[in-house]
Amino acid sequence: MIEFSLWDIFSNLLLAARWTVALSLVAFIGGGLIGLTLLVLRLTGKPVLVRSINTYTQIFQGTPLLMQLFLLYFGIGLLGIDTSAWVSASIALTLYTSAYLAEIWRGCVESIPRGQWEASKSLAMSFGQLLTHVILPQALKIAVPPTVGFLVQVVKGTALASVVGFVELTKAGGMIANVTFAPLLVYSCVALVYFALCFPISLYARFLERKLHVARR
Amino acid sequence: MKSSKRSFLATLGLCALSVCLSQAVSAQTALDGITKSKTVKIGIPTDYPPYGFVGLDMKPQGLDIDMANLVAAKLGVKAELVPVASANRIPYLQTKKIDLIISTLGKNEERMKILNFSHAYAPYYQAVFAPKSLTIKSFADLAGKTVATARGAMEDEMLVKLAPKETEIKRFEDQAATTAAYVSGQTQAIAASVSVIGVVNQKQPQLNTEFKLLLRDSPCFIGVDKGEDALLAKVNAIVAAAKADGTLNKMSQKWLKRDTGDLPL
Repeated sequence: MIEFSLWDIFSNLLLAARWTVALSLVAFIGGGLIGLTLLVLRLTGKPVLVRSINTYTQIFQGTPLLMQLFLLYFGIGLLGIDTSAWVSASIALTLYTSAYLAEIWRGCVESIPRGQWEASKSLAMSFGQLLTHVILPQALKIAVPPTVGFLVQVVKGTALASVVGFVELTKAGGMIANVTFAPLLVYSCVALVYFALCFPISLYARFLERKLHVARR
Repeated sequence: MKSSKRSFLATLGLCALSVCLSQAVSAQTALDGITKSKTVKIGIPTDYPPYGFVGLDMKPQGLDIDMANLVAAKLGVKAELVPVASANRIPYLQTKKIDLIISTLGKNEERMKILNFSHAYAPYYQAVFAPKSLTIKSFADLAGKTVATARGAMEDEMLVKLAPKETEIKRFEDQAATTAAYVSGQTQAIAASVSVIGVVNQKQPQLNTEFKLLLRDSPCFIGVDKGEDALLAKVNAIVAAAKADGTLNKMSQKWLKRDTGDLPL
């Protein structure tokens, strides 16, 4: 049997972590854009839009990400449409992230007192001006901690993409653990790499929070 | 009322569309696809030594990988190896994302309903293993004990059938997690294949793991999707030829350190 040195384990995990990073970025960017669109659509207050976006969030919050990945890869495949693992995983992660972000941000926006809306409207601001000049800048400050908390969850959630054939951090860790029979060591390394990915995001969030607050003072 | 009628029609339309699409796909057989693209997509294990595991470069190797390469070579095409797990390998085949499963696939009646099997190409058996200090003489002794097993694998099914209801079966996503759970003492026993246990004992001799109960003798078959009879016939011919010229036995000796024994057709 082959012997893996500690460096072999670590370098292979780092190589696999590229997938984790790539999938996380897709989820952040795609989910963020769609989430923001959904938020704005929802804020228009049109009953049809509000109801359909509500249903959308309920569906993606109420079902496990693992099932969403599985259905998007194999379910669509059963219908005869061939999707690559990349496309399926990107779509699933984007939809999942956008549903959560839209809901998180809605909460942040709603925490801004109604008076602010009324005041802006009384100044004859358009809906766009109202959002970009009054509501969203204030909501942004409140949104930083829960958004980052969720993004860190998404980084860890990408581990589920191994079900559609991605050899990302967790899957690579499992494969190595099976050859080396040192699961404790290998999974500790996996945890360390995840921490190295997530910790800077949390640090940046703290920095961002401080910066936004300073701007207010 | 109106909107529900509209959505019903939309659903109907989608169903019709999907039926058309799936028919369009199945018009081409897997063998045509293989000869056209000059590659055969084969699902292989990457977490199941010595059948399929990774080397230092994370490239898969093992008995199943050798077999996959042999089949591809005899078909005269390139092998595209797709890493699969026991929980997702059949969906991979059914959605035609792979042409063949060569992944220590055991044969049972439920599986025969949804896919076809070639002749067996390698020996394999599953059993319950536990430390020497633990007394397990019959399946009744498993009552109240915790047993680790890989979800969806043959061991899982057999355990449910043979073990008493009081047995606490702990299921894990893949063989790595299952082995890890047993080795780290989270479960008292493990239901797995003999190959995995061989390595456990080599690496963790202090556990003193020994064979307790036979779950099933189930050699490995190559899985082929239903309706792909031309491909199945070719694969069967390859397996039969490899058996006759001793290639299968050589592979078994190389990876399992034992003869193939009597392999069923």
